[in-house]
Amino acid sequence: MELTFKVNGHPERLELEGHETLLDVLRDDLNLTGTKEGCREGECGACTVLVNGRAVDSCIYAAMAAQDMEIETVEGLATSDGLNSLQNAFAESGGVQCGFCTPGFLMMLTALLDKYPHPDRVQVRDALSGNICRCTGYAQIEEAVERCIRQRTIE
Amino acid sequence: MSLLGENLVRTDAVGKLTGEARYTVDYDGKDLLHGSLLRSPVPAGLIKAIDTTVAESLPGVRCVITAKDAPDARAGWVLREQALFARKQVRFEGEVIAAVAADTPEQAREAVAAIILDLAETQAVGDMETALAENAPLVHPEWKSYQPVSGEDYPRHGNIASELMADDDAVDVAFENADLIVEDEFTSNRQYQAYIEPKSAVGIYRDGRYTIHTGHQYPFNVRDRVAQYLDVRPSQVRVIGHSIGGGFGGKLDTGLEPYAAILSKFSGGRPVKIVNNRTEDILTCPSRENAVIKMRSALDKQGNLLGRELICHMDNGAYSGEMAFMPSVIFHLAGSVYKVGNIRVIARLVYTNTAPTGAMRGVSGVYFCAFQERHMDHIADELGVDRREYRLRNLVGNGDTLLSGQVLDDADLLRKGFEKMEEAAPWSQLNDNKKPWHGIGICAGTWITNSMPGSVQLILNEDGTVTVVTAATDNGSGAVSMGITQIVAEHFGLPADDIVVTMPDTDVAAYDGGSQGSRTTHIVGRAAGIAADELKGMIFDVASGMLEAGRDDLELVNGQVGVVGYPDSRISLGDIAMTATWTRGPLSASGSYTTAPVPYNPGCASGMLFPFFPTPTYHVHLAEVEVNPVTGNVRVVRYIVVQEVGRVINPAGVRGQIQGAVAQGIGHALYESLRIRDSRYLERSLEAYRLPLAVDMPEVEIITMEHPHALGPFGAKGVGEPAIILAPATVACAVSDAIGRPFNSIPITPEDVLEAIVGKEKQL
Ligand code: FES
Ligand code: FES
Repeated sequence: MELTFKVNGHPERLELEGHETLLDVLRDDLNLTGTKEGCREGECGACTVLVNGRAVDSCIYAAMAAQDMEIETVEGLATSDGLNSLQNAFAESGGVQCGFCTPGFLMMLTALLDKYPHPDRVQVRDALSGNICRCTGYAQIEEAVERCIRQRTIE
Repeated sequence: MSLLGENLVRTDAVGKLTGEARYTVDYDGKDLLHGSLLRSPVPAGLIKAIDTTVAESLPGVRCVITAKDAPDARAGWVLREQALFARKQVRFEGEVIAAVAADTPEQAREAVAAIILDLAETQAVGDMETALAENAPLVHPEWKSYQPVSGEDYPRHGNIASELMADDDAVDVAFENADLIVEDEFTSNRQYQAYIEPKSAVGIYRDGRYTIHTGHQYPFNVRDRVAQYLDVRPSQVRVIGHSIGGGFGGKLDTGLEPYAAILSKFSGGRPVKIVNNRTEDILTCPSRENAVIKMRSALDKQGNLLGRELICHMDNGAYSGEMAFMPSVIFHLAGSVYKVGNIRVIARLVYTNTAPTGAMRGVSGVYFCAFQERHMDHIADELGVDRREYRLRNLVGNGDTLLSGQVLDDADLLRKGFEKMEEAAPWSQLNDNKKPWHGIGICAGTWITNSMPGSVQLILNEDGTVTVVTAATDNGSGAVSMGITQIVAEHFGLPADDIVVTMPDTDVAAYDGGSQGSRTTHIVGRAAGIAADELKGMIFDVASGMLEAGRDDLELVNGQVGVVGYPDSRISLGDIAMTATWTRGPLSASGSYTTAPVPYNPGCASGMLFPFFPTPTYHVHLAEVEVNPVTGNVRVVRYIVVQEVGRVINPAGVRGQIQGAVAQGIGHALYESLRIRDSRYLERSLEAYRLPLAVDMPEVEIITMEHPHALGPFGAKGVGEPAIILAPATVACAVSDAIGRPFNSIPITPEDVLEAIVGKEKQL
């Protein structure tokens, strides 16, 4: 089966068997290993990517369902100037420790902030309820969101 | 400007935020093969036959290996008891029986499924009670033949894997003379480290040596263990570190590494990668052990503690790993916070046919403190004394000794911790304003900074930057990417960007004791300081020639050397390095450090003993919880940590360690539990194993007490673990206070809460 879609703006065409998950295609066929696998059952959120702007768990998302869609992964976030404002806020707030959950959090929050540029604390916590971070205890991730919103308001 | 106490961004942040960081699972290559393991489907059984012929004939399969292909060797951290592949007997569900390498992961898995295993299930020893019963079947019938790694044996017999006893006849006298005896029994369940990156490893056999790629907390332990399993000298094994997706103690001993190594050998030296799926990871991860503690205290009329008896049984699972040491943790902690009078400690590590347990952040100290603190609350309630007041009355202070005789020089910090806590959250005010279904807990504790050795080589590069060669690992904590980086930068007055730290490589760097026991910043930071002093000496030697000035007249400021009082005389470290390289040779210096042993009484106990309790730190926690009487859910609404840290190197890093450790402690107290039924885990996925989420977490209020340690780098001590040591204790005390019923078992689930509420109503 042929899969045609865009990943981080690049058109891609792949020959697939049909049963592959989006996560496997990104990691194994396109070598985009920034997206991580923590559980393969839709529980941890480490594999979160955007499909047409919507955050999905790519480990339980059939690759063929992404036909003609636009996929965004962590590799697509940084700009030619370097880290984007959300990534920067994570760095400065200490929202990264081991970093294995980080790509998933970044993509989930990218989707949130696209939809609600000024989410309140409850919205942020709700959005994060599908992502597990074992290292940080979440406080500095939440702070990163606040920092990013402040930064974007200034800009 | 000093970098100490600055929130510098960790050096690996950009890689981790862009997806560039490489974890072991991301390792790739054209000739890469994939490994998969056949694991025992039963907790106990006898292997009668293994037929691999079908598996070997499947497409893409490069090799299938079993015990007959592996050296006849046993390996272990403390005791050489485990073979690479089960030969005859299997002792836990998940024990490895065979391994396959194939071109794709699917082919490897299919081949594993095609191995025909003739296995007779035998009666499993499912729990400690069964194991300790008379005539219980032995988990290791051949236990006597196992060799201790150190050469020196320790008390162990039958199903008891390790035993520690400290007895004092005066304890019996104390109980005879007691006016009041308070007795409790506590239990705690297993806690899974649940790092988000499941374990993986790559093995390569080439030129008679094994190279291992692994994101591991303790590369030198991998080197040594792989060497034991494969019966080669440790120097025949090279371990190269990668980014670690969390460890929390779960990645301190070998997991998949020896299998990847031997599969490569049998596949013509092609690299072999093995990756755990989450279920395999849960089934085989050395989780924090489940334990039962009986605690009994003898008191006089005034409530003074005359004596205490403490019997602790810890579940070892089928193999010991480093657990053989853990009874000694109980022993040291038993006298570390409160004056308990004469004490008897009996701590036993018990074999069962369950997954081997191991070290999780704070090891056995976490549940021990939970139980000790609950017991203190119980005593205070019996005496009708305020819980905080009762603790203050019995606190140890400067000059008091541990049960080992080790003198605590700084224990007054505990009292100071209570004072700081009082300023932040006045106790009587909290109690007076307490809402219905709210409860408060206050707890105190000490913890160690692990003493294991570490080393650093510093190289001054010709561009004026400094390379740090070390096998110290950053498991995510920031100990290297913030701590060591900032410490080295500070020594040379350089920006952190000018410091390059190598990834761990056992061929390149000298021994390091791993990211465990809150040790890395303290131990490796100190080693870096020693190396920096030596390198600075060389720098001054060279600069003194270049500047034609006496060595003692020179100063190093902001990465430049100049003559004191002559601001125009500055030359850069780059120029000095360049000159040195072409005149006397490149400049580099090394430093090593391990905590010097502290005097103690060797007769204090029998059993395997950590001889001392290195570089203690002192802590006080307070929690307020809210119980929902309808659902039984507990929410932690306020959490305050007063933590003694020596010296803060990076405040954001310290905050991350404390907040993260409290989260894991709240998880242990309220949700997380690997329950065992019929020797098997009930929780086998992240869906079933409930981890704390953002909505569960309060923003922890953090008060650090700086008390620079004479030998720590700029005074720093361990930070990573102390906050988990007291979190389950404080939450359990708060929930007990909220409901007015004792909770002596963790985790405290909603069902437990509802049962307690119903029980209380019946009683009224
Ligand atoms: S890997 Fe997809 S949710 Fe965990
Ligand atoms: S930073 Fe390690 S799991 Fe989130």
